[in-house]
Amino acid sequence: MPATQQSMQDDQEKLLDEAVQAVKVQSFQMKRCLDKNKLMDALKHASNTLGELRTSMLSPKSYYELYMAISDELHYLEIYLTDEFAKGRKVADLYELVQYAGNIIPRLYLLITVGVVYVKSFSQSRRDILKDLVEMCRGVQHPLRGLFLRNYLLQCTRNVLPDDGEVTEEGTTGDINDSVDFVLLNFAEMNKLWVRMQHQGHSRDREKREKERQELRILVGTNLVRLSQLEGVNVDKYTQVVLPGILDQAVNCRDSLAQEYLMECIIQVFPDEFHLQTLNSFLRACAELHQNVNVKNIIIALIDRLALFAHREDGPGIPADIKLFDVFSQQVASVIQSRQEMPSEDVVSLQVSLINLAMKCYPDRIDYVDKVLETTLEIFNKMNLEHMATSSAVSKELMRLLKIPVDIYNNILTVLQLQHFHPLFEYFDYESRKIMSSYMLGNTLDNNTVIKAQEQVDAVLKLVSTLIQDQPDQPSEDPDPEDFAEEQNLVGRFIHMLHSEDPDQQYMILNTARKHFGAGGNQRIRFTLPPLVFAAYQLAFRYKESSSVDEKWEKKCQKIFSFAHQTISALIKAELAELPLRLFLQGALAAGEIGFENHETVAYEFMSQAFSLYEDEISDSKAQLSAITLIIGTFERSKCFSEENHEPLRTQCALAASKLLKKADQCRAVGTCAQLFWSGRSSDKNGEEIQDEKRVMECLKKALKIANQCMDSSLQVQLFIEILNRYIYFHEKQNEAVTVQVLNQLIQKVQDDLPNLEACEEAELIKKHFHNTLEHLRVRKESSEADGAAYDGLLL
Amino acid sequence: MSFFGFGQSAEIDIVLNDAETKKKVEHKTEDGKKDKYFLFYDGETVSGKVNVTLKNPGKRFEHQGIKIEFIGQIELYYDRGNHHEFVSLVKDLARPGELTQSQTFDFEFTHVEKPYESYTGQNVKLRYFLRATISRRLNDITKEMDIVVHTLSTYPELNSSIKMEVGIEDCLHIEFEYNKSKYHLKDVIVGKIYFLLVRIKIKHMEIDIIKRETTGTGPNVYHENDTIAKYEIMDGAPVRGESIPIGSSWLAMRMTPTMRDINKKFSVRYYLNLVLIDEEGEALLQTAEITLWRKGDIVRKSMSHQAAIASQRFEGSATAEKALAQAQGGQQLSPSAQSTSSLGKRTLCLCVCW
Repeated sequence: MPATQQSMQDDQEKLLDEAVQAVKVQSFQMKRCLDKNKLMDALKHASNTLGELRTSMLSPKSYYELYMAISDELHYLEIYLTDEFAKGRKVADLYELVQYAGNIIPRLYLLITVGVVYVKSFSQSRRDILKDLVEMCRGVQHPLRGLFLRNYLLQCTRNVLPDDGEVTEEGTTGDINDSVDFVLLNFAEMNKLWVRMQHQGHSRDREKREKERQELRILVGTNLVRLSQLEGVNVDKYTQVVLPGILDQAVNCRDSLAQEYLMECIIQVFPDEFHLQTLNSFLRACAELHQNVNVKNIIIALIDRLALFAHREDGPGIPADIKLFDVFSQQVASVIQSRQEMPSEDVVSLQVSLINLAMKCYPDRIDYVDKVLETTLEIFNKMNLEHMATSSAVSKELMRLLKIPVDIYNNILTVLQLQHFHPLFEYFDYESRKIMSSYMLGNTLDNNTVIKAQEQVDAVLKLVSTLIQDQPDQPSEDPDPEDFAEEQNLVGRFIHMLHSEDPDQQYMILNTARKHFGAGGNQRIRFTLPPLVFAAYQLAFRYKESSSVDEKWEKKCQKIFSFAHQTISALIKAELAELPLRLFLQGALAAGEIGFENHETVAYEFMSQAFSLYEDEISDSKAQLSAITLIIGTFERSKCFSEENHEPLRTQCALAASKLLKKADQCRAVGTCAQLFWSGRSSDKNGEEIQDEKRVMECLKKALKIANQCMDSSLQVQLFIEILNRYIYFHEKQNEAVTVQVLNQLIQKVQDDLPNLEACEEAELIKKHFHNTLEHLRVRKESSEADGAAYDGLLL
Repeated sequence: MSFFGFGQSAEIDIVLNDAETKKKVEHKTEDGKKDKYFLFYDGETVSGKVNVTLKNPGKRFEHQGIKIEFIGQIELYYDRGNHHEFVSLVKDLARPGELTQSQTFDFEFTHVEKPYESYTGQNVKLRYFLRATISRRLNDITKEMDIVVHTLSTYPELNSSIKMEVGIEDCLHIEFEYNKSKYHLKDVIVGKIYFLLVRIKIKHMEIDIIKRETTGTGPNVYHENDTIAKYEIMDGAPVRGESIPIGSSWLAMRMTPTMRDINKKFSVRYYLNLVLIDEEGEALLQTAEITLWRKGDIVRKSMSHQAAIASQRFEGSATAEKALAQAQGGQQLSPSAQSTSSLGKRTLCLCVCW
């Protein structure tokens, strides 16, 4: 096939080349004759030149090139004749003379050329000559040749068409109506020829012909451009004459290619003000177009254009008397009605542009947007669609449709006001609902949209339930863990947007959210419940702040903590341990700090819950160490416990620390416990630190003992250094039991052991640690010399 | 005798009185060349002078009389011997006698009837000439001078349009209309062609102008057809409902007025042939006779005339559109108006209304 195509192309080039050569020769002769003032001979050569355009062999592209070459030459003739007329030379009966040409193609080209010269020179004849020319061109019924001939007519007459506001000589005939008639007639004839092209030749070449027709369409469209350039074509003329003329032609030609192009052309060529006045007739015509025409694109193009116009800053906007939205809404409905075969995605994309229109032109009319959604919903109901697949075109369009209000309002609360948003949403399949839900939550977060009311929370969470709870239509396999985490993190972040200024309302919000999230299943709640618990703690703090105005604040706090307790328990049920443990500890801290009536009991409960989790659920040694460290840390910070509660808790901590499996872990945990006996606070002593020197020393000694049992020498040294650091800490805190001797002993021991370490990266780190520790001591010693002998005898 | 330098001889010269101002027109001669001749009209007086110039002044010149004739005659080429004179007027300028010096004689044929137009055709020639003759005993001296006569007509009183319908059953049905049946020589033919039914692929359409010269009578009739011009009026295939305008001023070329049965010797008639050529190259044609006449004074056409021509075309179109509307309204041709004639391979339905 490519070979024949190539040869066809070669043929075309050859034919074109020959024709162009002939044109050159003949037009050269023509110019010579003109130079010698031999007009009749010149016309003969001009006619010969034009004879080349009679060919049927050239493709539209080649024919176009030939046409361009020839029209240049004719231009020369036109200028010559115009000059001759201007000089006053009477060239008698020229208009008739050129008609002697026997062949119609050369004859009509010459007739047009001379005709235009006549119009310029004798403006009294303008009206009749224009009429004659456009009428005579009917003689060429061959589509390609006719199109170019009429294009030539249009080109030549572009400066002589009567128009409003032109400066004319006396006696000039013709007015804007003649121009409109002229161009409309030319347009109609060209369109007919253009449409007829498709019926020529073999049906197997149909595709090629369509391509050729696409190449030629601009010739037809130029007529519309010309109409739009006429000053005299104002809104009235456009409404009454021009548009009906064009539409009549467009509708009646019953050719989808032509219809699509012409409608598009009308939209692009004429100004927005005109479109506004003719919406109904234009859209009505759309409904009458061929079934194959993509009406959607046409209407969308118009809507987009008008929406842009309404939006333009320097423009006058949409006149108040034009109910733009109502008109479009009605007409779009009737278009959809008239086209039963229209694919549902096209129906939706029409709604997309309608909604765009509503958004851009009437930003405050939420009801318009809702109306579009309602219409779409009705259509879907009629179609009996169910859960459309994400990959389907209609689903993509629907997503576009629903994203628009989200994007434009940038406020999910406004979106919630759309009654028909949610029902439409339900037409998506699981995947799409998820994508769309994430999109909406993302939007809420990006815009910091705060959701202030319980009902709103309820509505939003119902809307995005795909992210919150398991769905009947979700796929059986588990989602990609990373994606899932990302999605649920988003939900977690979203929870912080649920915020009411009114604490009571906030409580309701949290309860509602809890209900939704609670049903999310084990996988989800680990992401969703913690933020909820934190929000609850936060709320409790807010109640405390408002304690002066709210008498019942303590009761409410109690309620919140039991809410938190419940929520955390849900996590435990989901076989989670570390997370609830941390949440309990956080709760204990919060309760302690808020200090409402009964807070100690609550804090104790939370601490003990943490302990039992630690004991029952955490088995991994590393996790145990970090858990006990956390517990110890939390407990150390709490000052709400009376000695009665404090004592068992701290003993429990020490016990737990010494029961750890690994020696190193034991050593460290016990070392940490020492802190409890120093800075731990019970309510009995008015919140003062216990500072039990003896118990601290016991802990540290026990840590040393455990470190001694450690077999790994580098680990051992490391532990020694860590313990040394603890000693130094307590020494600085003026724990009398920690003497310089004790420090010296330990330093000595480390110094003895250090050289035995194998040289490795780890050893380097250990040495560095030790070195830094000594450096710290040196600095302390030097700076403290002035104020005491605390460091006397320290051997460095 | 004059060869030897003795004896007297004379030359004759015919000079028209208003030769300086008299209009001359081109006219084709028998050998196909064009020459300019003085132009006369019917009833116009032909007057002038005959100059007789003696070769040897002073010598006597004897003659049997001098006369001038005005002759209008028809020559049929196949019968060269017989000239049919339809006008023959004689004026004697001098009685037999002697001339001693060159002399000029005035002559005048008042209001000469010149009923026919000068014509040079394929087989026949109609000419007018003046002939001066000096009768001598041995050989007469003659001199002829051709003039050209144009016959003028007044506007025809009745000049209806020509409308015809033509077609091939179930294939093609067209209707065409020429705005007049009688055209003057500088006239414009304006018309329209309507395609009421098109089921064949037409390539183009032309109008041929045919001149038909008929000479002789009875069994010896000769027809000579001459296509004067071919005029393409349509390129490409129209579809049903299309109308194609005809509008052209091509009549001036090589054409004479229609001559019917001139002196029972010959006729010259003109026809318009509408020729349709389809993709297989087959032609379909329909003929209509038109009458040509010569209009009186030929005024330079002004631009308003051009405009008038242009606008005429539209008036024509209005009536034709009506016709189309009727035809589309299910009106078939009435059977009585149809007469079939065999033409080429195809049968044409023909309906002529004058």
